[in-house]
Amino acid sequence: MAKLYPVQEIGSLAKPRWRTKGLTQPLSSKDLVEAEEWAERLGIPDFQDRAKQLLAAQQQNDRVRELLELSTIYGLRLFEQTGLDNVGVGGEQQRVEMYEHVIRGVEGMRVLGHVQSFDYKYFNKAVAESKIHRKHPIYLQEFLDVKKNAEGQLKVPITGPYTLIDWSFSGHYSGGRTGLSLKKQKQETKREFLLDFVEQVIRPEIRDLVDAGAEWIQIDEPAITTHPEPADMELFVEGWNETVRGFNCKFSDHTCYPSEIGYKVLAQYAPQLDKCSHLALEFANRDGTSLGVDAKHREGYRDLEYFIENGYDGEFGVGAVHVHDFSGHVPPSSGKEVGRNILESPELVRDRLLYAAKVVGDPAKIWANPDCGLRTRTWEVTLAKLTSTVKGAELAREASD
Amino acid sequence: MSPKAQLGGIYPRSEQLIELTRSYDRAKTDLDSVKKQIEQDTLDLIKLQADSGFETFSDGAFAWQDQLRPIVESLDGVTTGTRYDRWFDTNTFYKKPTVAGKISVRAFEPRNFIRTDLLPRTKSWKVTLPGPYTFSELSENFHYPSQSDLLHAVASAEHEIIKKLKDAGVSRFQLSEPCLVYRPYREQAPSRAELDNALAAIQKTVDGVQAKFCVHTYFGDATTILPDLLKLPIDTVGFDLFETDYSQLKFETAKKLALGIIDGRESNAESPKWIAETATRVAKHLTGGDLVLTPNSDLKFVPRKVADVKARALAEATRLFEEGR
Repeated sequence: MAKLYPVQEIGSLAKPRWRTKGLTQPLSSKDLVEAEEWAERLGIPDFQDRAKQLLAAQQQNDRVRELLELSTIYGLRLFEQTGLDNVGVGGEQQRVEMYEHVIRGVEGMRVLGHVQSFDYKYFNKAVAESKIHRKHPIYLQEFLDVKKNAEGQLKVPITGPYTLIDWSFSGHYSGGRTGLSLKKQKQETKREFLLDFVEQVIRPEIRDLVDAGAEWIQIDEPAITTHPEPADMELFVEGWNETVRGFNCKFSDHTCYPSEIGYKVLAQYAPQLDKCSHLALEFANRDGTSLGVDAKHREGYRDLEYFIENGYDGEFGVGAVHVHDFSGHVPPSSGKEVGRNILESPELVRDRLLYAAKVVGDPAKIWANPDCGLRTRTWEVTLAKLTSTVKGAELAREASD
Repeated sequence: MSPKAQLGGIYPRSEQLIELTRSYDRAKTDLDSVKKQIEQDTLDLIKLQADSGFETFSDGAFAWQDQLRPIVESLDGVTTGTRYDRWFDTNTFYKKPTVAGKISVRAFEPRNFIRTDLLPRTKSWKVTLPGPYTFSELSENFHYPSQSDLLHAVASAEHEIIKKLKDAGVSRFQLSEPCLVYRPYREQAPSRAELDNALAAIQKTVDGVQAKFCVHTYFGDATTILPDLLKLPIDTVGFDLFETDYSQLKFETAKKLALGIIDGRESNAESPKWIAETATRVAKHLTGGDLVLTPNSDLKFVPRKVADVKARALAEATRLFEEGR
């Protein structure tokens, strides 16, 4: 029998200062003090040799390559130290972030400028200026580095095509439509842009990853639950099914932070997603902090019911720990509040997993994971949260025996 | 009478202002530098409107962190915590207002809403506020017994704010009410009773204030709500042409209609010719009132240089529209 309640990471991990600085300027030995401390903690025996190479690199390209591989190794070791069953790609250390990292690899897309996300935070938004195609592999080098250095199972998170086009201006794809209402013109534009992105960028990327040995690809689609209208959901399904067509690989969807009705709507369409054998969803964010395995205590997990009611029969990656700032009451048995973080106890993780298994009706379908990537948390907090998740999964296994 | 062009809502910050605010966020720039650049951004937009022939001026609301924040900061009983919510189906976020006590208006500076110190005295000034229905819909209510009580409390508060802004020289107000036509976070559209209540609250907001009011909807199809909005004691009704199937419209009105005819969510610059031709086609479905050409929503969803092109095109289109008559 397969291990119950395996634990996975979801995506990004905070990038250390030396990694960020080293991408644009030469590093000094002082810059690597933090890296040396963590090398000892994480067990990176060849750190000194690698540090020498980094400091000696004359060419920027050599330095960057060395830096990206090294930071990936740190991410992998950090995940491995916590006992994760699947270490992903070591925290996406080789990516700018989930949107721009892809866009930079697409011919025909141009970054137009910044748009406010909230307050004094912004994101770079791009436009399709001509028909798009992939300039070069986007995730392949990272996967090869991970494959060479990882000790656990791997999963490659990629940004989904629906999200990429939803966060871009359609530009080139908007032209030439007449006779339809402006709304219908926009819908047709979106479809053409999406299917081109799938065909010209995402499928070639998946082909490369699968050929290189990737066995599990997680498609991140946070944008889909922001458009719960049938036309958009049907378009999402069409794009997904075209994306995975013909590939022999495990596929999962990760969608987090939906609107109030987001998961309810996604649940209606999830059974139509070809080859989607796993849904990684966010729940801890809206759950209570007291222990218990009943609906009253585990209110945050109730949306799971919609997926079962609609006949989705795959696995669930259950968000069991929160990844953003937290403020609120935490009973001692459920963990503690440290600064702006909640450090969930293994017992709270256990109860969340057991409740999810009860709703789904089969503990073999439940994976444990953070709600989303942990990039906004420090490595210390990440270690604590993931270690607790692994221990919580162990407790859930014991309770299921 | 030829149609007029107007901007409204939050205009995108310049790359210089963005850089400064990011630097300020990292404690590497002082607040004065940010304030100076906000002033410069405002002056640049004023110049753009003057050069393009706008008659009603907006100040761009460059200091506004989101569409609701200045209202929140002018009220007692309402706060914002650390929770951000998605602004409809965009990839932008707002701080969710939390209503924890009886709402009342505290002493506030009109300059928090509009830069009256920078706008030219020879022009009329417009400020865009969230309508009471949208504000209450997007808030979290921990105080009032019902959503309706909250709605009317917000309407009364906004009424007070508007009176003070009117006294400060603002002559035109846009009340944005996207929630009347688009609620992607809810399963059901508002019921008839809820809509009637929302309309009553809007009426309460504008009642007795001698100013021009536009109730503007966006992100959703306004076809069914337009007849109701046209009955309100307001000057102008606005709607999003990219979401509203205008071929289905057919009505007569003496009110002005604000056509949301440039898309604040796409970077394509609509040409003045396209805008004028589209406005002409829409006008054939309507009898009576004058037209105002506007963006469909805030322009903050596109980068600044894109917004500038769109704003100029809007003004140019009013001239082409007139020539084409």
